[in-house]
Amino acid sequence: MIDPAWVSGLAAILFIIGLWGAFSRKNAIVVLMCIELMLNAVNLQFVAAASHWGDVTGWVYAVFAIAIAAAEVAIGLAIFLSMYGQHETISLDEVNLLKN
Amino acid sequence: MSGNEIIDYAVLIPLMPLLAFPVILFLGKIFNGTPTWVKNVKEGGIIALTVMGASLILALLLIKEHMHHVGTANVFTWFESSWWNPETGSITTKVFGFGIYIDHLTIMLLFVAAFLCFLINVFSIGYMNTDPINDNRNHRFYAEFVLFCSGMLGMVLADSFLWLFIFWELMGLCSYLLIGFYYERPSAAYAAKKAFLTTRVGDVFLVIGLVMLWNLFDGHLDYAYVFNPDNIAAVDSGDLQLALGMMFIGAVGKSAQFPLHVWLPDAMEGPTPVSALIHAATMVNAGLYLVARMFPFFGGAELGALSTLAIVIACIGGITAVMAALIAFVQMDLKKVLAYSTMSQLAYIFTGLGSALWFANNGYDELAAFAMGASLFHLFNHAMAKGMLFMASGSVIHEMHHAHHEVAHHGHDDHGDHDDHDDHFDAQSMENMGGLASRMPITATAMFVGSMSIIGIPLIGGFWSKEGIIASAWKVAQEEPIFILPAILVLIGAGMTGFYMSRMWFMTFAGKPKTDVAKHVHEQTPWIPIPLVVLTFMTLGAIIFAGMHAGHWLGDFESGHYTNFFDGIGYEMEHVFFNHDPFLLLLTYLAIGLSLGIGPYFAMSLYGGSLDGDQKAKPWMQWAINISAKVNKSSNFDNSAWANSSLANSLHKRLHFDDIYDAAMMKIVVGFANLSALFDTKFIDGAIKTIESTSQEASRRLRSLTTGSARDYIMMTALGTLVIFMLLWGVA
Repeated sequence: MIDPAWVSGLAAILFIIGLWGAFSRKNAIVVLMCIELMLNAVNLQFVAAASHWGDVTGWVYAVFAIAIAAAEVAIGLAIFLSMYGQHETISLDEVNLLKN
Repeated sequence: MSGNEIIDYAVLIPLMPLLAFPVILFLGKIFNGTPTWVKNVKEGGIIALTVMGASLILALLLIKEHMHHVGTANVFTWFESSWWNPETGSITTKVFGFGIYIDHLTIMLLFVAAFLCFLINVFSIGYMNTDPINDNRNHRFYAEFVLFCSGMLGMVLADSFLWLFIFWELMGLCSYLLIGFYYERPSAAYAAKKAFLTTRVGDVFLVIGLVMLWNLFDGHLDYAYVFNPDNIAAVDSGDLQLALGMMFIGAVGKSAQFPLHVWLPDAMEGPTPVSALIHAATMVNAGLYLVARMFPFFGGAELGALSTLAIVIACIGGITAVMAALIAFVQMDLKKVLAYSTMSQLAYIFTGLGSALWFANNGYDELAAFAMGASLFHLFNHAMAKGMLFMASGSVIHEMHHAHHEVAHHGHDDHGDHDDHDDHFDAQSMENMGGLASRMPITATAMFVGSMSIIGIPLIGGFWSKEGIIASAWKVAQEEPIFILPAILVLIGAGMTGFYMSRMWFMTFAGKPKTDVAKHVHEQTPWIPIPLVVLTFMTLGAIIFAGMHAGHWLGDFESGHYTNFFDGIGYEMEHVFFNHDPFLLLLTYLAIGLSLGIGPYFAMSLYGGSLDGDQKAKPWMQWAINISAKVNKSSNFDNSAWANSSLANSLHKRLHFDDIYDAAMMKIVVGFANLSALFDTKFIDGAIKTIESTSQEASRRLRSLTTGSARDYIMMTALGTLVIFMLLWGVA
């Protein structure tokens, strides 16, 4: 049995990697992957906390988060697809239609 | 409220015309122009006639039933409202609804309104439906006509001042619609607006008066409560006088008295039946009715407390009587003469009412009843005579139009394409008439009798009532010195009436025809003569009504001595011709001399003349024409100096009242409007513009945060989340 503290640490590292990736990458799919990474880091944190406290609430949250993340990915990918259809690119630097 | 009494159905009298209004309007909309609608239904005229006939029959039954006692009936209750008075601890219950109230006054007005509305309706079918200018829109006329009648009938039957006001306003609306019937003519549209706005000035005061009355009488405006002597005695008479004075201003506007008289002459822009309706049957009588309704207040308030208002009413009447008569001297338009005559005669009634109210307030009950009776009887006589005169003038104008078309179309055939009719011909101007007595016998007779009634020629129509009013005014003047002013004015007015009415008749019907058109006039339109004949006999037989009236009004005071009809006639005769008071006797013969002698003498010497040699009027008019020709020849009266005087000029301009009002409106209303406009641009618009520019600026700054780059948004989300976490942490 691994100590939940290690798992929490792993989750924090994963979260920071995801955050850094979301900030720095310009490929939209990569940014989406980074966001997924952050979500999963949080899931991991939930699970770790659940086993630490011996409470199923964390597991339930993790399941919900996974389900929502799946929906989010579906929408995100659909947006990128249509974005590509219109702009021939999925680079975030080149799409700023909402500016001002 | 038991059984099948006629009063339970009294509400139908105003209700039937009210319901006929939408019916005629919509049927007219649907069937407009179809042969049945035009020929058989007379574009709604027959529907209106049926309804008015039914109203008249019901009204007559009601009058017969309630000739000698007051009647009330509750028609419907809308809701009841109770409130608790914290000072007295009592609970007042107020019932809101509609009820019927019938007394002497109602009966008089009800008969006048229902009877004349019916006759004018008959006349309208002849007048409106034969004029091509009205084709396909007569349904609008008849719809508005019945609504107007409904307003008047409802007003006299209603049992509270509030309902009186509601029907009053209904009439105001209808007068606007009907005066502006020919709305495509700018002058008619202007006249309609003028009538509406001028009466509105009075109505504002009426509302103020009603609110004050409502306050004084603890939330009651129904006659049953406010006419209760105990309730009147409980009210402060100074406040009461103020409230009644406000209501009187409303009556001044409606009855076209000085200084709110300017709308009445312009109201002639409407079709002639409308003039008859407004001047005889409905509108102008409303103001008189309102003032006459105040009678119980004067009887119930403390002695002499309301005298000032009575004097004001009489003075307004006296001033208007002479002023309107003066302006009537110079009018050339047949209908305008009658309009000013209406103002003048209504002023007589106001003077009579003022006397009656003064007597009532000073404890002379019998004299008050006499003056009140005389005033109301003059209202009756004037309505009958003026309705007849207007219909007769309508008949003249109508036939002049026809004759003009005839002359223009057939008389000028040899001129080829020369068809200049309708260019400058004025069918209403008396300068184009003359010598019509033989060509329009029925109309001329009606006009003859009507004019005599208005003048006050002894033994017919208005004579009885006018003598009564003048005598009453002088009787008050013996007690109250200020009353000498109206008393003298109405006496002078009697002579002036003699002049302008004679002038009108002789200019129109005597002498040689002044234009080619007048030679071709014939009395040929169906329907029109019927009301003229009926009203001629009504006016001639006024002594019968005078007898009934005197028996009726004075019966209560002379311990039943005069309740008999013949006693009533005897009373009238004795009072007028053999008065015991030598002063009043002298006064009577002076008034007769002025109205029968001086006035007509001058009119004859100026405008009299015999007819064309081959023409012969009916014997009962021929003598007057013969006399006028003789007087005209023998007098050699030259009036050119007078006709060119500055007074005559200002009379032509209606004594400048319209100009003064226009100028005042320009100064006050336009000035105020400019000020309001300034306030609007500077203050209201300024505030809105400041709000707008500030938010513009704020949004311009905020906009720079939206970079459009997804990375920045992620950053903001992360930072925002971080801030929220830190806040939560800090709080926890």
